[in-house]
Amino acid sequence: MTAEFEAQLLHYMSDQRWFAGKGGVSSIGGIVRLPWLTTAEDEPRVRVELVTVITDDVPQVYQVPMAYYDTEPERMGHALIGTYDDPKHGRLVAYDALHDRIAIGTLVRGFVENDRSGGITHSVLGPVQVDTDMPSVMLTGEQSNTSLVLGEDLLLKVFRTVVPGRNPDIEVHEALTRLDSSAIAALRGWVATKPIDDGDSYDLAMLQDFLRSASDGWEYARASVRDLLMEADLHADEVGGDFAAEAERLGATVAALHDDLAAALETDTWKARNLARLADRLRSRLTQAVAAAPELAPYADSLASAYDALATLDTTVGVQRIHGDLHLGQTLRTIGGWVIIDFEGEPAKPLAERRALDSPIRDVAGMLRSFDYAASSMVIPTEMSPQEHHRIDEWAERNRAAFLDGYAATRGDDPRDHAVLLRAYEIDKAAYEVVYEKRNRPTWMGIPLSAIERLAGT
Amino acid sequence: MSEIAQPISHESDDPNWFKRAVFYEVLIRSFKDSSGDGVGDLRGLAERLDYLAWLGVDCLWLPPFFPSPLRDGGYDVSDYTDVAEDIGTIDDFKAFLDAAHSRGIRVIIDFVMNHTSDQHPWFQSSRTDPDGPYGDFYVWSDTDDLYQDARIIFVDTEASNWTWDPVRGEYFWHRFYSHQPDLNFDNPAVHEAMLDALAFWLDLGVDGFRLDAVPYLFEREGTNGENLPETHEFLRKVRKFVDDGWPGRVLLAEANQWPADVVDYYGDFDTGGDECHMCFHFPVMPRIFMAVRRESRYPISEILSQTPDIPKNCHWGIFLRNHDELTLEMVTDEDRDYMWAEYAKDPRMKANIGIRRRLAPLLDNDVDQMELFTALLLSLPGSPVLYYGDEIGMGDNIWLGDRDGVRTPMQWTPDRNAGFSSATPGRLTLPVIMDPVFGYQAVNVEADLANTSSLLHWTRRMIQIRQQHPALGLGTFTDIGGSNPAVLSFLREFGDDAMLCVNNLSRFAQPVELDLRSFEGVRPIETLGGVEFPAIGELPYLLTLGGYGFYWFRLPKNPEASGP
Repeated sequence: MTAEFEAQLLHYMSDQRWFAGKGGVSSIGGIVRLPWLTTAEDEPRVRVELVTVITDDVPQVYQVPMAYYDTEPERMGHALIGTYDDPKHGRLVAYDALHDRIAIGTLVRGFVENDRSGGITHSVLGPVQVDTDMPSVMLTGEQSNTSLVLGEDLLLKVFRTVVPGRNPDIEVHEALTRLDSSAIAALRGWVATKPIDDGDSYDLAMLQDFLRSASDGWEYARASVRDLLMEADLHADEVGGDFAAEAERLGATVAALHDDLAAALETDTWKARNLARLADRLRSRLTQAVAAAPELAPYADSLASAYDALATLDTTVGVQRIHGDLHLGQTLRTIGGWVIIDFEGEPAKPLAERRALDSPIRDVAGMLRSFDYAASSMVIPTEMSPQEHHRIDEWAERNRAAFLDGYAATRGDDPRDHAVLLRAYEIDKAAYEVVYEKRNRPTWMGIPLSAIERLAGT
Repeated sequence: MSEIAQPISHESDDPNWFKRAVFYEVLIRSFKDSSGDGVGDLRGLAERLDYLAWLGVDCLWLPPFFPSPLRDGGYDVSDYTDVAEDIGTIDDFKAFLDAAHSRGIRVIIDFVMNHTSDQHPWFQSSRTDPDGPYGDFYVWSDTDDLYQDARIIFVDTEASNWTWDPVRGEYFWHRFYSHQPDLNFDNPAVHEAMLDALAFWLDLGVDGFRLDAVPYLFEREGTNGENLPETHEFLRKVRKFVDDGWPGRVLLAEANQWPADVVDYYGDFDTGGDECHMCFHFPVMPRIFMAVRRESRYPISEILSQTPDIPKNCHWGIFLRNHDELTLEMVTDEDRDYMWAEYAKDPRMKANIGIRRRLAPLLDNDVDQMELFTALLLSLPGSPVLYYGDEIGMGDNIWLGDRDGVRTPMQWTPDRNAGFSSATPGRLTLPVIMDPVFGYQAVNVEADLANTSSLLHWTRRMIQIRQQHPALGLGTFTDIGGSNPAVLSFLREFGDDAMLCVNNLSRFAQPVELDLRSFEGVRPIETLGGVEFPAIGELPYLLTLGGYGFYWFRLPKNPEASGP
């Protein structure tokens, strides 16, 4: 029976967007079932379960909050996981609790009632009012997490893959919220497990302001490119959908974010030997990338010379906590201006690496690459005419420059004055993109490859 | 299907009538000439009241029609209590006012307090007889040194706010043209003269005043001479005077300032406002143009989110175009924001930067855009002020110069002089529009009346819907964002009346997903056609809109009531 339920659970999980083990061979390695959040009379019964899935010998812990019913309720078929034989309550029907309004109410009740049952704790940064009467809504389009809008103005971001210790998204949001930073959506609280078996605890979810008026920066930028391409031959600065003013303001916001991160969290200084080590790391990543994508080979020497320049740079570089995975998709345009989201860093990297100090120029490089992508993503690269190519480049250049202008004006430090570092980080990012596209979207490989060509040439 | 709200009553005694009213600015000289002398007049305007009543406007705003040398479009008044000879007589005005009121149309008139014409007998007396009764009616000085912190508003024509008067041998103060000396509001006799003039028109029955150029009434050394406490004190005095003698009349301030400063002209928040009932919201208009140009809702959303709350008995006035040029400098002076840079960056908008053009030519005569703009005007918070001729998509004449290009005769018919006047065409004070696109043969009321799909019929229908829905006049405003930055979506709610307005600011078709959880189960009803849309469910509500498309949905509070 247990094996049957586990098979059903694995089947359900592997269909979800947040499941990281797609394409691999997976099995369930264990389930930690936290105590019930509900009483015996409640329906559904709700608890958080931590499911370890082993994919190709690599274990990964997933959070699956569960709602159990005695009988199948209507309208919840899409969240059905399977049937589970509970030792005490008998046969129950299990659902993904994040699709169940009643169960969600149970999961968030602890924010207002200071309820500490169920093996999880709710923490708040100040009083919060969670409107449990108003139905929550699940945001679409998210990859690795599940986000729910609670009431009118709160967002609950539930981490699906969890690791022991402090989640960097919560850590950074908390520090910036205490600083009253305007570059983020303020943190209101978080949910964590109690130490499991007197060992590690896991951060499960964070509660932050929901920015109702927001729209996605990536789509907003692409709308500008689309607008440009609908005109036969106007320049990027001539069309109505010109994005440069927005790019400039976004640059100012990222600069303010970096100032806030430096003020709120630790900073350090890299000396020449740190830069040499950085160059070594980047070189070895490049070597791996060339191995994975031979298309990079013709440029490898020129690219490596950029790292040589970095290694011999006789200067110091201020380092601090950075976003770590900054691109247009991590930006929101709100009525009040731009806001930056998702401080988890690159999810594929180990926690220590995601929390490591780095130069803010790395974030800047990420944004510059993102403008390039936004520009190119409207046309399949292999079908791009020279005219389109020219106009798209013009858009990207215009907005990259506007972004850097806004950043420089706010921070008083122009990233273009750190040309060696900026180029090194751009190359690193673009090489990673080439590998990613080769594996996932071969027709798109031209986007980062043309950037590589440009970066190798300078 | 039943409409849920009663139409607005024109005879209403509601002192807040102006919150639901649709205003219509009409230039008497350009509307209808009854005498055949080539100048529009009060009798002509009275003849066309049936048209205005049919259109559905609630209140007319008449720019100055007082005796004037007309060096500033009549804003240079030489007699506050008479009618300019070419426009008619006081008896004509009374007859017009009675005729308007009998149709349920109110009338507010312009009133210029800050200054008079230099031809006004007060000024002539003041300069020749410094010790006489009007000697202290204006701001005189031996030198031109005082008040150097006050900016010069008409920088193109004026070098100083002081001008030497050789007759009196002193300098006089003027914030605008040098032929418009500022009245001296430190002189109580000036207050009395102003209140007497207001009383004259209130006794005749006018429903209120648009107060021209109110921020500049007083001068104080070391200040910029704008928004001074003394000015507010005087406005409170005016308000009390009007309220005490003629309750229900309205004061509409022209304070071309940033909203955070304009709100001061409403007066005391706790008492619901004790200065002006209404103020124009100047920045929202250029932001609408910018938002559509940028295909982004943020220019509009931002300015509305930055607009402070106003006292409860007060209301904004909003407009797309009016008789004035609207210089962006005046909007952005206080603004840390990016609007000026936006316009300056954009050669095409820069060509229109004065926005001294009519709506239709500004929008390339695109009916879809004109409808979208009008829908925004009629649904954003504030009372809409239409400009005569825009309801038929009239054009302008840029060859007449900035001032007169948008003041050409109303185009009634395809006949001689557009049906405006029987005079010899050469006698018209301003020529009718004759270009191939906007000429009166193509664009006129007669043709639009005959064509039920015309902009005119459409505008009338939209005004009707607005009047059926108190939410659009009185309701709260909630920007609900949505997944698509090219789509501006907002709720207007008043009691049981809830309206959802969704506007596609882009020329292309757009989808948008709206978070409408608080209306789950409600079936939105599109108000132009009465079509019921699918019920709002748990998931974000998906709508698609054509280029420049928009919806006005009614959200009935009781879902069952609208079911089959």
